[in-house]
Amino acid sequence: MEYTIETHDLTKKFALQKGFTDFLLHPFRKDEMTAVEEVNIKIKKGELFGILGPNGAGKTTLIKMLCTLILPSEGTAYVNGYEITKDSGKVRRSIGFITADERSFYWRLTGRRNLKFFASLHNFYSEDAEERIDELLSLVGLEERADDRFLSYSAGMKQRMAIARGLLNDPEVVFMDEPTRALDPGAAQHLRGFIRDRIVGDEGKTVFLSTHHLPEAEELCDRIAIIDEGRIRVVGTLDELKAGLDKPDPGLGDVFMHYTGKEFERGAAPKHVYPGRRRMMGGGRPGGMRF
Amino acid sequence: MIYKKAFSFIIRDLILATSYKFEFFLRFFFMLFSILTFYFVSKLVGGVGMAHLEPYGGDYFSFVLIGIAFSGYLMTALRSFSESIRGEQMMGTLEAMLVTPTDTSAIVTLSSLWSFIFMSFRVLMYLVIGILLGVDMSNANVFAALIILILTIICFGSIGIISASFIMVLKRGDPINMFFMSTSELFGGVLFPISVLPDWLRTISYLLPITYSLSGMRHALLQGYSLSALAPEITALMVFSVVLVPLGLLSFKYAVKRAKMDGSLVQY
Repeated sequence: MEYTIETHDLTKKFALQKGFTDFLLHPFRKDEMTAVEEVNIKIKKGELFGILGPNGAGKTTLIKMLCTLILPSEGTAYVNGYEITKDSGKVRRSIGFITADERSFYWRLTGRRNLKFFASLHNFYSEDAEERIDELLSLVGLEERADDRFLSYSAGMKQRMAIARGLLNDPEVVFMDEPTRALDPGAAQHLRGFIRDRIVGDEGKTVFLSTHHLPEAEELCDRIAIIDEGRIRVVGTLDELKAGLDKPDPGLGDVFMHYTGKEFERGAAPKHVYPGRRRMMGGGRPGGMRF
Repeated sequence: MIYKKAFSFIIRDLILATSYKFEFFLRFFFMLFSILTFYFVSKLVGGVGMAHLEPYGGDYFSFVLIGIAFSGYLMTALRSFSESIRGEQMMGTLEAMLVTPTDTSAIVTLSSLWSFIFMSFRVLMYLVIGILLGVDMSNANVFAALIILILTIICFGSIGIISASFIMVLKRGDPINMFFMSTSELFGGVLFPISVLPDWLRTISYLLPITYSLSGMRHALLQGYSLSALAPEITALMVFSVVLVPLGLLSFKYAVKRAKMDGSLVQY
């Protein structure tokens, strides 16, 4: 297995909801919207791959297809060597999914109880589960608050808990759908450091991360795919993407403009840049995550 | 392994239910009211309609007690599967569950376990209160009642899963739920024997599993019928099970596939 994630002309078309008049006038007409079109990407083990695009570009649909939550309309994809439709169970066994949606937990259960429940869905029970949960709580720095109700956590703590849950089954591949969306700039910065240093650096996971945040993609990803209107416009390292531009010292926004002909929507970019390309320079972050 | 998973769902739901302490106790408290209502109605009705009640021992309160207690399983089945999907969709937890190796049908089934356990506890309370109010179950054939109960849960559960399939695709407006909710009380013999109905309406009763379930349960608990005497009810429930179980599983499999195709698995 050369690539951990591999897609071949992966396409998703959604049927558009008809209005009542349309339904009466054209009952058999099938209107479709293409959310993801002929996506071909190959991602190596241990790579931190980012998919960058504005809202509605098709990032989440692509991730959900790879996580087997949505069936593709055409094309195919392999995750850890398993085909996403035929071997969907095996795919789910080997992946972790981290979302920014804090509603994906039971708010009236404690953090630990939440993790225990989700561990059982991954077929981890009793002592195996306890051990893994303690390990993960320590990794994300939530040991002391683990027995408090989830509803009492801050946004940063909720996101840490989402990371712990995403790593419960020690997955080969971790999918992250806009993981810093709900965090303030400082917490987002620390999370980026954690992803780079601990999840990819120490744990050696392959990370597939979607973002609409230019600095995040720029600071974090080994390779970046730019997606717009469901199509991958270009894939490469930051340097490769910039090399195609005539402009001196271009940013990722310029790259986006060059390949899509559109200006990327302006996000709240942090003033300082995450100091954590350390992994590439041989550095590491000893402690757990604190944000 | 499945029992460990089942246990973890039950613990989750028990903690969630008891975290709303006031509601948890209110549900038990108000249960008493419906039993007492029918107790006093039976005092008023007395021996009226004795001919219709004779096959079930002749006492209206005993008849209606079994009716309201065990029809609860149908209501639980119709509600719990679809409500578990809808509840998880609305809470936002469904997606996080579906991305694990646990099968979607297992998630839906196990999510409903707590409702059935709560219902069973409720039925037990109904029966205990009934006995305290004078219902005679001294001849009860408990083994036969358990057989009827298992078949009842299989039938009703399958109907519930078909209902959940509609919810998975349509999100709201499930016709199975509406059909069984509206017909079972009228035609299923919950509050009065079906012999009261005119012949042409009684035909509908024979098409509903609840009719056989309640009839069998009354005969087993109130009159102590043997398994052979209960053969008509048991056979009918087995036929319903043979038809409904595969239908439920197939419809749910199709519904999940359809929702994954539409990308609407977690929409509500």
